[in-house]
Amino acid sequence: MKIRTWLFHIALAIYSFFYVIPLMWMFYSSFKDNGKIFDNPFALPENWNFGVFLEAWSAGGLGKYILNSAIITSLATAIVLFVSSLAAFAFSRYEFALKRYSLTIFVLGLLLPIQAYFIAQNELFEFFGLKDSRFTLVLPYAGLGIPLATWLLKAYLDSLPKELFEAARVDGSSDIGMYRSIALPLLKPGIATVAIFTALGSWNEFLLANIYVQNDDYKTIPAGLLAFSTKYVTDYQLLFAALTVVTLPMIIVYIAFNKQVVAGLTEGSLK
Amino acid sequence: MKPTSKWTPFLFILPAFSIYAFTVLIPLIGTLGSSFTKWNGYGSPEWIGFRNYLRALKDTIFLSSFKHVFIYVLATIILEVAVGLILAGILSSRKRTDVYRIALFVPVMLPMVIVAVLWRFIYNADFGLLNGALEGIGLPQFAKIWLGDPKFALAAICFVSGWVYAGFYLAIFYAGLQRLPREIIESASLDGAKQSAIFWKIKVPMIRRLWEVAVLICITGGIQGFDLFFVMTNGGPYYSTEVPTTYMVRMVFRDQEIGYGSALAVLVTTTVLMIGFFYSKIRKKSEQVEY
Repeated sequence: MKIRTWLFHIALAIYSFFYVIPLMWMFYSSFKDNGKIFDNPFALPENWNFGVFLEAWSAGGLGKYILNSAIITSLATAIVLFVSSLAAFAFSRYEFALKRYSLTIFVLGLLLPIQAYFIAQNELFEFFGLKDSRFTLVLPYAGLGIPLATWLLKAYLDSLPKELFEAARVDGSSDIGMYRSIALPLLKPGIATVAIFTALGSWNEFLLANIYVQNDDYKTIPAGLLAFSTKYVTDYQLLFAALTVVTLPMIIVYIAFNKQVVAGLTEGSLK
Repeated sequence: MKPTSKWTPFLFILPAFSIYAFTVLIPLIGTLGSSFTKWNGYGSPEWIGFRNYLRALKDTIFLSSFKHVFIYVLATIILEVAVGLILAGILSSRKRTDVYRIALFVPVMLPMVIVAVLWRFIYNADFGLLNGALEGIGLPQFAKIWLGDPKFALAAICFVSGWVYAGFYLAIFYAGLQRLPREIIESASLDGAKQSAIFWKIKVPMIRRLWEVAVLICITGGIQGFDLFFVMTNGGPYYSTEVPTTYMVRMVFRDQEIGYGSALAVLVTTTVLMIGFFYSKIRKKSEQVEY
């Protein structure tokens, strides 16, 4: 290789190092007790005792937070995909009264910040006794995801040829039959994209999670980890271990599916 | 296409619309309504007209929170969009850069709260990585209580945001640059143009739509910023990192000032919508060929 190429890679490796080192520091500090952490933050641990991860897992109930996040994320994502693909089908394929108005109302959701409605949403959920349960966050997260999902899936459906549906109609296909046997199979790439950003959005959401769920048993990862860091405020080793337990699996999943994740996230926010 | 019955399309839309109406539309109207009241969440709300709005315009903490969020937005445009653009230019000029792109995108997919807790440790005055590094390279005089010092806390938070999202915009711009037609760039290099000139004068204008959208996301997203601020400083020290949403959340959920909090929410929403509206107006005027 030429010298310029070497310099290029050395410079970029140093830059990337600023991304890797905080995560590595988090990982190896899990093996150092408080004294060692204060003594020299950079020093590598003397012994690698993986038991600390088990301790963080059981003492802090991390498993519970991860399970809650998994349940809420999968339910919210499934609901968004189902209802948004139905709505997108109607918006893309049919002409009907009030179509423009109803579409505008959905598009409004793309522009609205969560601040526009979360205060009254909280009151509404309070009124109906929907707060503080295992499923509390499913509906708000579905509501957050529906506008963008509907919009993107409609764009995907708009690009399909009209003839496909007209031919099916001539063959006597019903409305729901066309949705199931033509639209859904052809929507698969769009659904994958929408699934990725809806799922990541729900997995990472914090503002609502922090307000709606006080019971520790129902907290999701972001709110749960924050509660954990308040509870074990000075046990740095345990905190580093907890951070590692929740981030490492995500990083592994990301590295395995990085193309899809990057595409899903960037496409979702560009439209 | 015509539906078999005129009700069919509405049946298709109904499930999505019900959830959306229940979680977004009704609360939207509710927030607007309660912004004209004085209400602690228990008794009955008292109608007070525009008094909450007048109070907001005189509320120095709220006004300074707008100033902070404005600084934050400017910082993120530089640290995220500009840095992401430069990185994309550098990385797209060579082959085999996957490793770097994968590494720089990692923080984007982690929950902001986790990133914030981690950076609270990095900035920690006693055992933090940053002060440790400064001492390690012989500059202990620059070590600080980063998040505890009103002069540095906001900058420290802006930096974390840049650390997270530069990789995100890098991914967007990189994908855009890869899609540019080869012929134009090749003919420019045949004319003897330098790589950097080709990048700034030809490629960057060609992906204009992408960085315009990126700037818009930075502005509207930045005004809504919450997670980083809440976890790292919660507005402190001495309100030096107070942003509209941290202040609003404290008003509503700690001080039970639901009416006033709603008025603040309406003001923030209006700001976001107005900026989005004017920005897209300006963009439409200067619309160009898209890639």
